[in-house]
This record gives sequence, C-alpha cells and structure tokens, in this order.
Amino acid sequence: MEQDTFPTLRHATWVDVGLWLWRRRRRFRVEGRSMLPTLEPGKEVLINPRAYAQQPPQGQDLVVAEHPQRPGFRLIKRVAAVDGEGACDLRGDNPEESTDSRQFGWVKQDSILGQVICHFP
Amino acid sequence: MLNHAISQLQNWFPAPAVHAHCDGPCGVYDPSSARVAAEAVVSMTKKLMDLEVPPAGDKAALIKYNNTFSRFVAIKEEQAQLTKDELLILWTDYFKPVHLEAYPDLHDTFWKAAKLCSACKVEVSTQHAQELMAAVEKIHGIFWATKSRDIAWVTAS
Repeated sequence: MEQDTFPTLRHATWVDVGLWLWRRRRRFRVEGRSMLPTLEPGKEVLINPRAYAQQPPQGQDLVVAEHPQRPGFRLIKRVAAVDGEGACDLRGDNPEESTDSRQFGWVKQDSILGQVICHFP
Repeated sequence: MLNHAISQLQNWFPAPAVHAHCDGPCGVYDPSSARVAAEAVVSMTKKLMDLEVPPAGDKAALIKYNNTFSRFVAIKEEQAQLTKDELLILWTDYFKPVHLEAYPDLHDTFWKAAKLCSACKVEVSTQHAQELMAAVEKIHGIFWATKSRDIAWVTAS
C-alpha cells in the first residue's frame, strides 16, 4: 500500500526564539516513538498556545493536546480530520506504535493546547 | 551560535514532556483475534439455521424462540463487526508497501474479507460465513509468511 507521507517540521529561526523569549511560544520535549519519522524522542519543539484562538485546527497540523481520559497527560499528535465544532481526530505518524484517536476517540478543541510550530532549535 | 546557545539552555532548563506515546501492546499483531470472531460468526449462523420454529399457538415457545433468535442475531452482528475491525487494524496498521509488492492482491483480499463481514451481518448465510473463514485463513497465511514464520491454522471448533 501507499506509504503515508507527512509534511516535515521546520527548524526554529531567530524569530521563533524571540517569540519564545517573549513567552508567545512554549517548549516541549518529545517522549515516545509514535511521531516517527517526523519527531524523534528526546527532541524539543515550540508550540503556539494561541494558534487556535481565532480558528479551528486544520488537517495535517501537529498539535499538543490533553489526553481525553488522562487529565494532565499531554500528547503530541497529528490532526487527521476536524469536525464542524473543531474536535480533532488525532493520529501518530507511526501508527504501529501510536495510541491515538483510534483508541480514545475524537479530542475536543478545548483539549488542544496549541500548534507545534517548529523544532527547537 | 544560536543552536549552541539553545543547547546550553536545554541542558540547564529541561522542557516539560509531551507524549508521542503508545499504551502498548502496540506493534503486536495477530490474525487469530479476527479468526476467533469469524468462528463465532460461523457458529451463530449455523445455530440460526438449526433453530426449530415453534408450533403455532404455543405462545411460551414462540417467546423463547424469538428471544433465542434475537440473541443469536445480535451476537452474529457483533462478532462480524469485530472481525471487520480486527481485519482493518491488520490491513491499515500492520501491512506495509513492501508486503504489497510480495502480495499484489493484498488490498483485494482485505477488501473482499471486509465485504464478507458485512454480508454475514446482512444475511444468515452459511456460504458467506464459510467464505469469511477462508478469507481470514488466507490473511493468516500471508501475515505469518511476512514474518517468515510457519504458524499452523487452527480453529477453536
């Protein structure tokens, strides 16, 4: 079958670092293998917590979300689909090693904590 | 220079974790779960076929018959859906492009097997139930061949 291809994530620029220092971006460290090959475990990313203040997530966005059944447990996944109210079908880029919406269902937009903008650095 | 400065920062101030996680037992696939469900479909289909219609006018027997018939249908429906779910997991998550090169009819095999799951729900058909078992057996053969393992096809019944 066709291998799924995913958009690659860019690396941080001075602007991104500036936005982070200005507290407009948050840093996170990736744990786990479900987002390979896009995100390697141990690597850091920057997210924009306000990305979805005005508009819902879009398909293919990388997002950080709270696990629907485990409060406080933050996930990093890709948006596979969005419904009319902004709820997302989240999937790992590496489905063989991912627990995602296939198990825990769609994730409400309230639980999406931000959009992953770039690698850090 | 930027990267060096950031690396220093990362060492001094670890970032909070986000989980690209897997609850496990991810990466563990086995067509036997589809086989068990398909066997239940075969069994329920047979039981439905064998159910004796009660004599006219025997209300108690009619109630019992309707109840048993409904239960068999409900289980058949549920197990056919489970078979489909298990097959789709194998199809979409386990099998990779390299497997398709070795088994060019892989998509067709899964598509037809999924269609048979639906047919077994819509109908009470011994023939389609047996064809579903045969399709699962074929997938069993392909699956274990991709792992270069010789696993015998066994059934519970």
